[in-house]
Amino acid sequence: MAAGMPPRRAPFAHASEAELARILDFYEVRWTYEPDTFPVGWSLDGDVVESFAPDFYLPDLDLYVELTTLKQKLVRKKNRKLRRLRELYPDVRIKLFYARDFRMLMLKFGRLALADELSGTVGQATPPRAHAADLAPAPIAIAQAAAPDAATDDGEEPEGTDPAGDEAPAGGTRGRRRGRRRRAAARAAEAARRVVVGETEPA
Amino acid sequence: MTRPVDLSADIGEVLLTEEAIAARVAELGRRISEDYAGRNLTLVSVLKGSLPFMADLMRQISLPLRIDLMEVSSYGGTATESSGLVRIMKDLSKSIDGEDVLLVEDIIDTGLTLNYLIRYLRGKNPATLRICTLLDKPARRLVEIPVDYRGFEIPDQFVVGYGLDYGEQYRNLRFVGVLRPEVYSIID
Repeated sequence: MAAGMPPRRAPFAHASEAELARILDFYEVRWTYEPDTFPVGWSLDGDVVESFAPDFYLPDLDLYVELTTLKQKLVRKKNRKLRRLRELYPDVRIKLFYARDFRMLMLKFGRLALADELSGTVGQATPPRAHAADLAPAPIAIAQAAAPDAATDDGEEPEGTDPAGDEAPAGGTRGRRRGRRRRAAARAAEAARRVVVGETEPA
Repeated sequence: MTRPVDLSADIGEVLLTEEAIAARVAELGRRISEDYAGRNLTLVSVLKGSLPFMADLMRQISLPLRIDLMEVSSYGGTATESSGLVRIMKDLSKSIDGEDVLLVEDIIDTGLTLNYLIRYLRGKNPATLRICTLLDKPARRLVEIPVDYRGFEIPDQFVVGYGLDYGEQYRNLRFVGVLRPEVYSIID
Protein backbone atom coordinates (compact mmCIF):
# COMPACT_ATOMS: atom_id res chain seq x y z
CA MET A 1 0.00 0.00 0.00
CA ALA A 2 1.31 3.41 -0.90
CA ALA A 3 2.29 5.59 2.02
CA GLY A 4 -0.53 7.74 3.31
CA MET A 5 -3.20 5.98 1.33
CA PRO A 6 -6.16 4.39 3.07
CA PRO A 7 -6.80 0.71 2.42
CA ARG A 8 -9.04 0.25 -0.56
CA ARG A 9 -10.51 -2.54 -2.58
CA ALA A 10 -11.21 -1.05 -5.97
CA PRO A 11 -13.61 -3.18 -8.00
CA PHE A 12 -11.36 -3.50 -11.01
CA ALA A 13 -13.02 -4.23 -14.30
CA HIS A 14 -10.05 -6.22 -15.54
CA ALA A 15 -7.37 -8.34 -13.91
CA SER A 16 -4.63 -6.41 -15.70
CA GLU A 17 -5.80 -3.26 -13.93
CA ALA A 18 -5.49 -5.05 -10.59
CA GLU A 19 -1.97 -6.09 -11.55
CA LEU A 20 -1.01 -2.53 -12.49
CA ALA A 21 -2.42 -1.35 -9.16
CA ARG A 22 -0.19 -3.88 -7.38
CA ILE A 23 2.81 -2.60 -9.32
CA LEU A 24 2.02 0.99 -8.37
CA ASP A 25 1.55 -0.05 -4.75
CA PHE A 26 4.86 -1.89 -4.85
CA TYR A 27 6.69 1.25 -5.91
CA GLU A 28 4.65 3.41 -3.53
CA VAL A 29 2.98 5.43 -6.23
CA ARG A 30 -0.42 6.62 -5.01
CA TRP A 31 -3.40 6.00 -7.28
CA THR A 32 -7.15 6.17 -7.47
CA TYR A 33 -9.28 4.00 -9.70
CA GLU A 34 -11.54 5.66 -12.28
CA PRO A 35 -12.01 8.84 -10.24
CA ASP A 36 -13.09 11.05 -13.13
CA THR A 37 -15.21 10.82 -16.25
CA PHE A 38 -14.57 13.21 -19.11
CA PRO A 39 -17.38 13.90 -21.57
CA VAL A 40 -15.99 13.76 -25.11
CA GLY A 41 -19.16 13.75 -27.23
CA TRP A 42 -22.50 15.53 -27.10
CA SER A 43 -25.79 15.29 -28.95
CA LEU A 44 -27.33 18.30 -30.68
CA ASP A 45 -29.41 18.77 -27.56
CA GLY A 46 -26.27 19.07 -25.49
CA ASP A 47 -26.57 15.72 -23.81
CA VAL A 48 -23.39 13.80 -23.19
CA VAL A 49 -23.39 10.77 -25.48
CA GLU A 50 -19.76 9.73 -25.20
CA SER A 51 -17.36 9.89 -22.30
CA PHE A 52 -14.00 8.59 -21.24
CA ALA A 53 -13.07 7.44 -17.74
CA PRO A 54 -9.33 6.72 -17.53
CA ASP A 55 -8.57 3.70 -15.36
CA PHE A 56 -6.15 5.34 -12.94
CA TYR A 57 -5.23 8.75 -11.67
CA LEU A 58 -1.83 9.17 -10.04
CA PRO A 59 -2.20 12.30 -7.90
CA ASP A 60 1.48 12.79 -7.10
CA LEU A 61 2.30 12.75 -10.79
CA ASP A 62 -0.89 14.47 -11.92
CA LEU A 63 -1.23 11.76 -14.52
CA TYR A 64 -4.11 9.63 -15.77
CA VAL A 65 -3.33 6.14 -17.01
CA GLU A 66 -5.57 4.14 -19.30
CA LEU A 67 -4.74 0.47 -19.66
CA THR A 68 -5.98 -1.61 -22.54
CA THR A 69 -5.09 -5.23 -23.13
CA LEU A 70 -6.82 -5.52 -26.47
CA LYS A 71 -4.66 -6.25 -29.48
CA GLN A 72 -3.27 -3.21 -31.26
CA LYS A 73 -5.58 -3.49 -34.24
CA LEU A 74 -8.62 -3.36 -31.98
CA VAL A 75 -7.88 -0.16 -30.12
CA ARG A 76 -8.80 2.37 -32.82
CA LYS A 77 -11.89 3.47 -30.94
CA LYS A 78 -9.95 4.04 -27.75
CA ASN A 79 -7.29 5.95 -29.65
CA ARG A 80 -9.95 8.15 -31.18
CA LYS A 81 -11.47 8.91 -27.80
CA LEU A 82 -8.05 9.63 -26.39
CA ARG A 83 -7.33 12.11 -29.19
CA ARG A 84 -10.68 13.74 -28.53
CA LEU A 85 -9.95 13.98 -24.82
CA ARG A 86 -6.61 15.61 -25.52
CA GLU A 87 -8.25 18.12 -27.84
CA LEU A 88 -10.94 19.02 -25.34
CA TYR A 89 -8.84 18.89 -22.19
CA PRO A 90 -5.30 19.90 -23.20
CA ASP A 91 -4.23 20.32 -19.59
CA VAL A 92 -5.08 16.73 -18.72
CA ARG A 93 -2.02 14.50 -18.78
CA ILE A 94 -2.85 10.95 -19.79
CA LYS A 95 -0.80 7.92 -20.72
CA LEU A 96 -2.29 5.03 -22.67
CA PHE A 97 -0.81 1.68 -21.85
CA TYR A 98 -1.39 -0.69 -24.75
CA ALA A 99 -1.36 -4.46 -24.57
CA ARG A 100 2.19 -4.44 -25.85
CA ASP A 101 3.26 -1.95 -23.16
CA PHE A 102 1.68 -4.11 -20.49
CA ARG A 103 3.36 -7.23 -21.85
CA MET A 104 6.72 -5.47 -21.94
CA LEU A 105 6.18 -4.32 -18.38
CA MET A 106 5.47 -7.89 -17.35
CA LEU A 107 8.49 -9.04 -19.34
CA LYS A 108 10.65 -6.57 -17.45
CA PHE A 109 9.39 -8.03 -14.19
CA GLY A 110 9.81 -11.60 -15.40
CA ARG A 111 6.06 -12.20 -15.38
CA LEU A 112 5.27 -12.50 -19.05
CA ALA A 113 3.21 -15.62 -18.51
CA LEU A 114 1.01 -13.61 -16.20
CA ALA A 115 0.46 -11.03 -18.95
CA ASP A 116 -0.95 -13.77 -21.15
CA GLU A 117 -3.27 -14.83 -18.36
CA LEU A 118 -4.49 -11.30 -17.76
CA SER A 119 -4.88 -10.02 -21.31
CA GLY A 120 -8.05 -9.49 -23.28
CA THR A 121 -11.33 -11.11 -22.41
CA VAL A 122 -9.62 -13.82 -20.41
CA GLY A 123 -8.62 -11.26 -17.82
CA GLN A 124 -12.06 -9.87 -17.22
CA ALA A 125 -12.96 -9.67 -13.60
CA THR A 126 -15.74 -11.87 -12.37
CA PRO A 127 -18.65 -9.63 -11.42
CA PRO A 128 -19.12 -9.34 -7.68
CA ARG A 129 -21.86 -11.47 -6.16
CA ALA A 130 -23.67 -8.33 -5.04
CA HIS A 131 -24.37 -7.52 -8.68
CA ALA A 132 -25.27 -11.02 -9.75
CA ALA A 133 -28.87 -9.98 -10.28
CA ASP A 134 -27.73 -7.55 -12.98
CA LEU A 135 -26.22 -10.29 -15.06
CA ALA A 136 -27.19 -13.41 -16.91
CA PRO A 137 -24.55 -15.91 -15.78
CA ALA A 138 -25.02 -18.82 -18.15
CA PRO A 139 -25.02 -16.84 -21.45
CA ILE A 140 -21.88 -14.93 -20.39
CA ALA A 141 -19.85 -18.09 -20.12
CA ILE A 142 -20.95 -19.23 -23.57
CA ALA A 143 -20.46 -15.83 -25.14
CA GLN A 144 -16.93 -15.39 -23.84
CA ALA A 145 -15.92 -18.64 -25.37
CA ALA A 146 -17.63 -17.78 -28.64
CA ALA A 147 -16.38 -14.22 -29.07
CA PRO A 148 -13.16 -13.67 -27.16
CA ASP A 149 -12.31 -10.30 -28.74
CA ALA A 150 -15.77 -8.84 -29.15
CA ALA A 151 -15.92 -6.84 -25.95
CA THR A 152 -14.51 -6.54 -22.51
CA ASP A 153 -16.07 -5.49 -19.28
CA ASP A 154 -14.04 -2.31 -19.00
CA GLY A 155 -15.61 -0.63 -21.96
CA GLU A 156 -12.98 -1.74 -24.46
CA GLU A 157 -14.62 -2.57 -27.73
CA PRO A 158 -13.41 -2.93 -31.27
CA GLU A 159 -14.66 -0.36 -33.75
CA GLY A 160 -18.29 -0.86 -34.63
CA THR A 161 -19.20 -3.53 -32.12
CA ASP A 162 -20.90 -1.42 -29.50
CA PRO A 163 -24.64 -1.93 -29.80
CA ALA A 164 -25.35 0.51 -26.99
CA GLY A 165 -23.53 3.39 -28.65
CA ASP A 166 -20.80 3.92 -26.11
CA GLU A 167 -20.08 4.23 -22.45
CA ALA A 168 -22.64 5.89 -20.29
CA PRO A 169 -22.72 9.66 -20.04
CA ALA A 170 -20.80 11.34 -17.27
CA GLY A 171 -22.18 10.39 -13.90
CA GLY A 172 -21.42 8.40 -10.81
CA THR A 173 -18.65 5.87 -11.23
CA ARG A 174 -20.63 3.11 -9.59
CA GLY A 175 -23.62 3.77 -11.84
CA ARG A 176 -21.42 3.86 -14.91
CA ARG A 177 -19.76 0.59 -14.00
CA ARG A 178 -23.11 -0.99 -13.34
CA GLY A 179 -24.32 0.31 -16.71
CA ARG A 180 -21.30 -1.17 -18.43
CA ARG A 181 -21.89 -4.48 -16.74
CA ARG A 182 -25.48 -4.47 -17.90
CA ARG A 183 -24.47 -3.69 -21.47
CA ALA A 184 -21.73 -6.32 -21.36
CA ALA A 185 -24.27 -8.79 -20.09
CA ALA A 186 -26.69 -7.81 -22.86
CA ARG A 187 -24.01 -8.23 -25.49
CA ALA A 188 -22.97 -11.54 -24.03
CA ALA A 189 -26.56 -12.74 -23.90
CA GLU A 190 -27.09 -11.73 -27.53
CA ALA A 191 -23.87 -13.45 -28.58
CA ALA A 192 -24.93 -16.56 -26.73
CA ARG A 193 -28.36 -16.48 -28.37
CA ARG A 194 -26.70 -16.31 -31.79
CA VAL A 195 -24.51 -19.26 -30.99
CA VAL A 196 -27.44 -21.27 -29.71
CA VAL A 197 -29.59 -20.62 -32.78
CA GLY A 198 -26.67 -21.03 -35.19
CA GLU A 199 -26.36 -17.46 -36.41
CA THR A 200 -23.03 -15.89 -37.37
CA GLU A 201 -20.79 -15.11 -34.43
CA PRO A 202 -20.14 -11.50 -33.63
CA ALA A 203 -17.15 -9.99 -35.44
CA MET B 1 33.71 -30.98 -22.45
CA THR B 2 30.69 -28.68 -22.63
CA ARG B 3 30.41 -26.56 -25.73
CA PRO B 4 30.28 -22.78 -25.01
CA VAL B 5 26.88 -21.17 -25.48
CA ASP B 6 26.78 -18.27 -27.91
CA LEU B 7 24.60 -15.72 -26.11
CA SER B 8 24.83 -13.31 -29.02
CA ALA B 9 22.84 -15.77 -31.11
CA ASP B 10 19.76 -14.65 -29.21
CA ILE B 11 20.30 -11.05 -30.28
CA GLY B 12 18.27 -9.86 -33.22
CA GLU B 13 20.06 -6.55 -33.66
CA VAL B 14 23.06 -4.86 -32.11
CA LEU B 15 21.74 -1.49 -31.03
CA LEU B 16 24.93 -0.07 -29.53
CA THR B 17 28.35 -1.44 -30.31
CA GLU B 18 31.10 -1.74 -27.74
CA GLU B 19 32.91 1.12 -29.47
CA ALA B 20 29.87 3.41 -29.48
CA ILE B 21 29.26 2.76 -25.80
CA ALA B 22 32.88 3.44 -24.90
CA ALA B 23 32.93 6.72 -26.83
CA ARG B 24 29.73 7.93 -25.22
CA VAL B 25 30.80 6.92 -21.72
CA ALA B 26 34.05 8.84 -22.20
CA GLU B 27 32.08 11.89 -23.27
CA LEU B 28 29.80 11.63 -20.24
CA GLY B 29 32.86 11.29 -18.02
CA ARG B 30 34.33 14.49 -19.42
CA ARG B 31 31.12 16.41 -18.87
CA ILE B 32 30.72 15.13 -15.33
CA SER B 33 34.36 15.99 -14.58
CA GLU B 34 33.76 19.57 -15.70
CA ASP B 35 30.44 19.97 -13.89
CA TYR B 36 31.62 18.56 -10.56
CA ALA B 37 35.07 20.14 -10.38
CA GLY B 38 35.85 21.17 -6.80
CA ARG B 39 32.85 19.34 -5.31
CA ASN B 40 32.38 16.21 -3.22
CA LEU B 41 31.16 13.76 -5.80
CA THR B 42 29.65 10.44 -4.81
CA LEU B 43 28.55 8.02 -7.50
CA VAL B 44 25.71 5.77 -6.40
CA SER B 45 25.03 2.80 -8.63
CA VAL B 46 22.06 0.48 -8.56
CA LEU B 47 22.81 -3.20 -8.73
CA LYS B 48 23.01 -5.21 -10.79
CA GLY B 49 22.45 -3.79 -14.24
CA SER B 50 24.48 -0.64 -13.75
CA LEU B 51 27.72 -2.38 -12.82
CA PRO B 52 29.51 -2.29 -16.21
CA PHE B 53 28.41 1.29 -16.85
CA MET B 54 29.49 2.38 -13.38
CA ALA B 55 32.85 0.67 -13.74
CA ASP B 56 33.55 2.33 -17.08
CA LEU B 57 32.12 5.72 -16.17
CA MET B 58 34.05 6.17 -12.93
CA ARG B 59 37.29 5.59 -14.80
CA GLN B 60 36.40 8.35 -17.23
CA ILE B 61 35.90 10.91 -14.47
CA SER B 62 39.06 12.80 -13.64
CA LEU B 63 38.04 13.87 -10.13
CA PRO B 64 38.38 12.51 -6.61
CA LEU B 65 35.16 10.63 -5.96
CA ARG B 66 33.46 8.08 -3.78
CA ILE B 67 31.35 5.24 -5.00
CA ASP B 68 28.54 3.38 -3.31
CA LEU B 69 26.18 0.63 -4.34
CA MET B 70 22.52 -0.01 -3.70
CA GLU B 71 20.19 -2.82 -4.56
CA VAL B 72 16.42 -2.65 -4.54
CA SER B 73 13.95 -5.43 -5.01
CA SER B 74 12.09 -5.56 -8.27
CA TYR B 75 8.38 -6.21 -8.61
CA GLY B 76 7.75 -9.91 -8.92
CA GLY B 77 10.94 -10.88 -7.17
CA THR B 78 10.40 -13.94 -5.03
CA ALA B 79 12.01 -12.34 -2.00
CA THR B 80 9.44 -9.58 -1.91
CA GLU B 81 6.21 -11.38 -2.73
CA SER B 82 5.12 -11.44 0.86
CA SER B 83 5.47 -7.72 1.55
CA GLY B 84 4.21 -6.40 -1.77
CA LEU B 85 6.41 -3.36 -1.36
CA VAL B 86 9.72 -2.37 -2.82
CA ARG B 87 12.61 -3.06 -0.45
CA ILE B 88 16.15 -1.83 -0.14
CA MET B 89 18.15 -5.04 -0.44
CA LYS B 90 21.44 -3.25 0.00
CA ASP B 91 21.63 0.23 1.43
CA LEU B 92 24.36 2.83 1.14
CA SER B 93 27.45 1.98 3.12
CA LYS B 94 28.15 5.58 4.15
CA SER B 95 26.13 8.74 4.73
CA ILE B 96 25.58 11.04 1.76
CA ASP B 97 24.58 13.98 3.96
CA GLY B 98 25.96 17.09 2.27
CA GLU B 99 27.45 15.16 -0.64
CA ASP B 100 26.94 15.82 -4.33
CA VAL B 101 25.35 12.57 -5.40
CA LEU B 102 25.14 11.31 -8.95
CA LEU B 103 22.82 8.32 -9.27
CA VAL B 104 24.12 6.06 -12.01
CA GLU B 105 21.51 3.92 -13.76
CA ASP B 106 21.72 1.47 -16.63
CA ILE B 107 18.30 2.22 -18.11
CA ILE B 108 15.24 4.32 -17.36
CA ASP B 109 11.98 3.08 -18.81
CA THR B 110 8.87 3.43 -16.62
CA GLY B 111 10.81 5.44 -14.07
CA LEU B 112 9.09 3.64 -11.18
CA THR B 113 12.26 2.31 -9.57
CA LEU B 114 14.13 5.55 -10.07
CA ASN B 115 11.23 7.58 -8.69
CA TYR B 116 11.35 5.46 -5.54
CA LEU B 117 15.12 5.75 -5.25
CA ILE B 118 15.13 9.51 -5.70
CA ARG B 119 12.61 9.93 -2.90
CA TYR B 120 14.63 7.58 -0.73
CA LEU B 121 17.96 9.31 -1.38
CA ARG B 122 16.54 12.80 -0.95
CA GLY B 123 15.59 11.75 2.55
CA LYS B 124 19.30 11.33 3.28
CA ASN B 125 19.97 15.04 2.69
CA PRO B 126 22.53 15.11 -0.10
CA ALA B 127 23.67 18.57 -1.17
CA THR B 128 22.64 17.75 -4.72
CA LEU B 129 21.15 14.72 -6.42
CA ARG B 130 21.41 14.24 -10.16
CA ILE B 131 20.67 11.39 -12.52
CA CYS B 132 22.96 9.74 -15.05
CA THR B 133 21.67 6.93 -17.20
CA LEU B 134 23.29 5.04 -20.02
CA LEU B 135 19.98 4.27 -21.74
CA ASP B 136 16.75 6.20 -21.79
CA LYS B 137 13.56 4.65 -23.15
CA PRO B 138 11.12 7.58 -22.99
CA ALA B 139 8.31 5.81 -24.83
CA ARG B 140 7.64 3.69 -21.78
CA ARG B 141 7.88 6.45 -19.20
CA LEU B 142 5.22 6.54 -16.53
CA VAL B 143 6.98 8.81 -14.06
CA GLU B 144 8.61 11.84 -15.62
CA ILE B 145 12.10 12.25 -14.22
CA PRO B 146 14.60 14.90 -15.29
CA VAL B 147 17.71 13.16 -16.60
CA ASP B 148 20.89 15.19 -16.23
CA TYR B 149 23.27 12.91 -18.12
CA ARG B 150 21.95 10.60 -20.81
CA GLY B 151 24.02 8.18 -22.84
CA PHE B 152 21.57 7.09 -25.48
CA GLU B 153 17.88 7.43 -26.14
CA ILE B 154 16.72 4.08 -27.42
CA PRO B 155 13.54 2.86 -29.14
CA ASP B 156 10.84 0.89 -27.39
CA GLN B 157 12.47 -2.52 -27.64
CA PHE B 158 13.61 -5.04 -25.07
CA VAL B 159 17.37 -4.72 -24.83
CA VAL B 160 20.03 -6.75 -23.07
CA GLY B 161 23.79 -6.66 -22.68
CA TYR B 162 26.32 -4.37 -21.00
CA GLY B 163 24.72 -5.13 -17.65
CA LEU B 164 21.11 -5.50 -18.75
CA ASP B 165 19.61 -8.92 -18.37
CA TYR B 166 16.76 -11.16 -19.27
CA GLY B 167 16.34 -13.86 -16.66
CA GLU B 168 19.76 -12.92 -15.24
CA GLN B 169 21.41 -13.76 -18.57
CA TYR B 170 23.15 -11.60 -21.20
CA ARG B 171 24.62 -9.11 -18.70
CA ASN B 172 28.13 -9.96 -19.86
CA LEU B 173 27.61 -9.05 -23.51
CA ARG B 174 29.93 -6.21 -24.47
CA PHE B 175 27.25 -4.49 -26.55
CA VAL B 176 23.60 -3.57 -26.13
CA GLY B 177 21.31 -5.57 -28.36
CA VAL B 178 17.66 -6.24 -28.99
CA LEU B 179 16.63 -9.65 -27.76
CA ARG B 180 14.95 -11.80 -30.39
CA PRO B 181 11.22 -11.86 -29.62
CA GLU B 182 11.12 -15.63 -29.94
CA VAL B 183 13.37 -15.80 -26.89
CA TYR B 184 10.62 -14.40 -24.72
CA SER B 185 7.62 -15.03 -26.99
CA ILE B 186 6.07 -11.57 -27.08
CA ILE B 187 3.05 -11.77 -29.34
CA ASP B 188 1.16 -8.64 -30.29
